[in-house]
Amino acid sequence: MFSWLKKKESASMAKDRLTIAIMSDRESIYELPFMDNLKSEILEVVKKYVSVKAVDIKKEVEGDIEALSIDIQLNS
Amino acid sequence: MGTVIAVISGKGGVGKTTATANIGVGIAMNDKKCVVVDFDIGQRNLDMILGLENRVVYDIVQVMDKEASVKQAVIKSKINKNLHFLAASQTKDKSILSSEKVKSLIDELRLNYDYVILDSPAGIESGFEHTIEYADKAIVVVNPEVSSIRDADRAIGILDAKSQKVKDGDDVSKYLIINRIVADMVQSGEMLRSEDILDILNIPLLGKVPEDRGVIDASNQGKPVISNKKSIAGQAYERISKRICGKDIDIRDVESESAGMFKKIAGIFK
Repeated sequence: MFSWLKKKESASMAKDRLTIAIMSDRESIYELPFMDNLKSEILEVVKKYVSVKAVDIKKEVEGDIEALSIDIQLNS
Repeated sequence: MGTVIAVISGKGGVGKTTATANIGVGIAMNDKKCVVVDFDIGQRNLDMILGLENRVVYDIVQVMDKEASVKQAVIKSKINKNLHFLAASQTKDKSILSSEKVKSLIDELRLNYDYVILDSPAGIESGFEHTIEYADKAIVVVNPEVSSIRDADRAIGILDAKSQKVKDGDDVSKYLIINRIVADMVQSGEMLRSEDILDILNIPLLGKVPEDRGVIDASNQGKPVISNKKSIAGQAYERISKRICGKDIDIRDVESESAGMFKKIAGIFK
């Protein structure tokens, strides 16, 4: 009895897993094709003033708000 | 001016080329002039599905390189006079494509046909990007299965980022075909329902195609399954093609109607 009960759930499991996987896929870099250019341009500008090690840009989504978070790591 | 439609999937093996072939024949059956183009450079397949593999003389790369004209390179289908076909190159690499070449080819085809259907390669790399770059619309083919749906979402993301129409501030409309639906698996909860897939991908439904052994039988013979009036997949493609041509055809609920009698009876005792 339990075996078919378990089976019945597999489609809804698929939906739950997909929803989560796709949500994180969509936040990834592929949604922002200009990301590499943006990174290197920011790096150029900031470099004029301080010594920079790396620039990291992430898209963050919280509810209805989408934001770009820019992380600039300085050379110490 | 014709409409350019890219058929995409993300994942390979979901029935994209079969869909392209059947949609091409279906559009031609609706009295529209249609050309189907194999953009899968290096992995030519559409010619086999259409039964035209022995008639290929010039391919798409030769046309783009001006070694042959469109007129010389297109092959007229025997199935329907409105249907023409342009083959992919089998010997060259897909790195041969460039945006300018693709654009000039598509512009020329657009002038000569009502519908230009592009069969894109699987994956999301350069060959795929060139296929979608100048398309007005896209048809996304998925199977009711997690990896296909995830890859399709990825492909839609790339489409929205790389399409010239989107760059121009416009929208590329996307439509979903759910292929290889097994009705009794959906009913028993072992296969994703169409509603769930639509929820996840969030694009309008163009059609549902049930799993059908006739599809392989059709490809063995090089006659798209749409020509087989008895085939349930063929009938689905007939409805899909009519919808593409602007006819208002109800979506058939293939998930609940096609389970065999035996399985229905068995279901009662579950």
